[in-house]
Amino acid sequence: MIGRLLKSDFLKIKRKGVWLLTLIGPLGVVCLQMVNYSLRKDYLLQQSDNDWHFYLLNVHAFTPLALVLGIVILTSLIASVENETNAWKQLIALPVSKMAVYLSKFTVLIVLLLTSSVLLLIFTLGYGLYLNLGDSVPYTSLIKFSLYPFAASLPVLALHLWIALVSRHQGIPVTAGVIGVILTYMGYSLPDWLIWKWPALMNDWANPDIVVQLGIGVGLLVYLTGMLHFVRKDVV
Amino acid sequence: MFWHVLRTEVFKFRQSGMLPILLVSPFIGLMIGVMTNLSGMATGGNSWLLLVQFMLLPYAVLFLPLMTGVLAGVICRYEHQAGGWKQLLSLPITRGSVFAAKYALLMAAVLIMQLLFLGAVFLVGQLKGITDPFPMIIFWKSIFGGWIATLPLAALQLTLSIMWKSFAAPFAVNVIFTLPAILAVNSQDFGPFYPWGQPFLMMYTGSASDSVFYVPWEQVLTVVGGSLVIFLAAGWFYFQRKAV
Repeated sequence: MIGRLLKSDFLKIKRKGVWLLTLIGPLGVVCLQMVNYSLRKDYLLQQSDNDWHFYLLNVHAFTPLALVLGIVILTSLIASVENETNAWKQLIALPVSKMAVYLSKFTVLIVLLLTSSVLLLIFTLGYGLYLNLGDSVPYTSLIKFSLYPFAASLPVLALHLWIALVSRHQGIPVTAGVIGVILTYMGYSLPDWLIWKWPALMNDWANPDIVVQLGIGVGLLVYLTGMLHFVRKDVV
Repeated sequence: MFWHVLRTEVFKFRQSGMLPILLVSPFIGLMIGVMTNLSGMATGGNSWLLLVQFMLLPYAVLFLPLMTGVLAGVICRYEHQAGGWKQLLSLPITRGSVFAAKYALLMAAVLIMQLLFLGAVFLVGQLKGITDPFPMIIFWKSIFGGWIATLPLAALQLTLSIMWKSFAAPFAVNVIFTLPAILAVNSQDFGPFYPWGQPFLMMYTGSASDSVFYVPWEQVLTVVGGSLVIFLAAGWFYFQRKAV
């Protein structure tokens, strides 16, 4: 059942620019550094002894923002597919469970965001090699900086999927998203328990691994809560 | 005719149930302000100005442009549902007046957002016990200047919201142009020419100036005025030819 639902969900997002957005996100993040480095490369290389690490930090400055904004846009787009044509009633009337419907939407988003994160890894590596930042490429850090933010943002994703799927007016999830983006942007001055701070991978424990584990755990919890509410909610 | 259309637009906006999103502006302002730690950096200047400089970066670079896009979407949502454009445009009113009324409403909503932000700044100052005199004239310049700088972005977002049924699509375009503004406002060469960076530059109280705004008149007229004319004209002509 879930396989067919997934197939139909991927079919529904065709030609809606969704895949284009998953490409633009990571490309934009690396492009900002292309502008940054092409304008003042000498100055930036003077800033640290470890040029690769400094470059990764520069890329990472925009990753959390792009990720949270991507989550807001993609969840809202996925909900719009059903809202615009009033298709919820028809979808739920099919012999599929509401849990499976919810899971399928969540899986589509995971696939899209994971694709984005892998693309970010490739683009970051590509431009880093082009910049010629040194012989020893820090592959472990590269993977961490590209994939950890995605895992750490799972609670935000689960929360936004829930808001987008239960709101009739898509202005509500997008407004909530704008608030989330401001919180992400101000991450450095926020308390550690706020989920919007997590994609930035900084906390007082100074260990990104914990943030990833927390992200997966809390993400699952938020996902289950949202799904249970969606299952019990009336469809209009 | 314009006033009648405007009245119905205001009515639809009030009935949309989305009026509370205007309150997000002072809420964000309060949140940023409360988290700002002023005591660590007493420079001897007016504490109000210091407070505003901290509050402005998230507000003017990200919040104001993004929220303008959300408001544009809210203003057009009613027509996108169940053939609303067809019904509205079959009335004996010109398309021009519909576009003008929607734009006027959007301008008013952004101005309300700016004024509520000013209120939030004042409240944060009271909470933090700032005793310096409130620099009213400077704040008016900042609030009003930020409003002027947002008008071109509002015109573009209104056009995109009329064009696309989906709420998220115009928002995505908005995001793509807004994120680079974080870098652009720091750049001496590029910043003054980037329309999405103008709200911050025109609200930034750092550069004391005797002019009406915080940026030179040439920049206001060419960058803000120029982009306003382009986006407004594009939206206007697009809407005249839009198939409903």
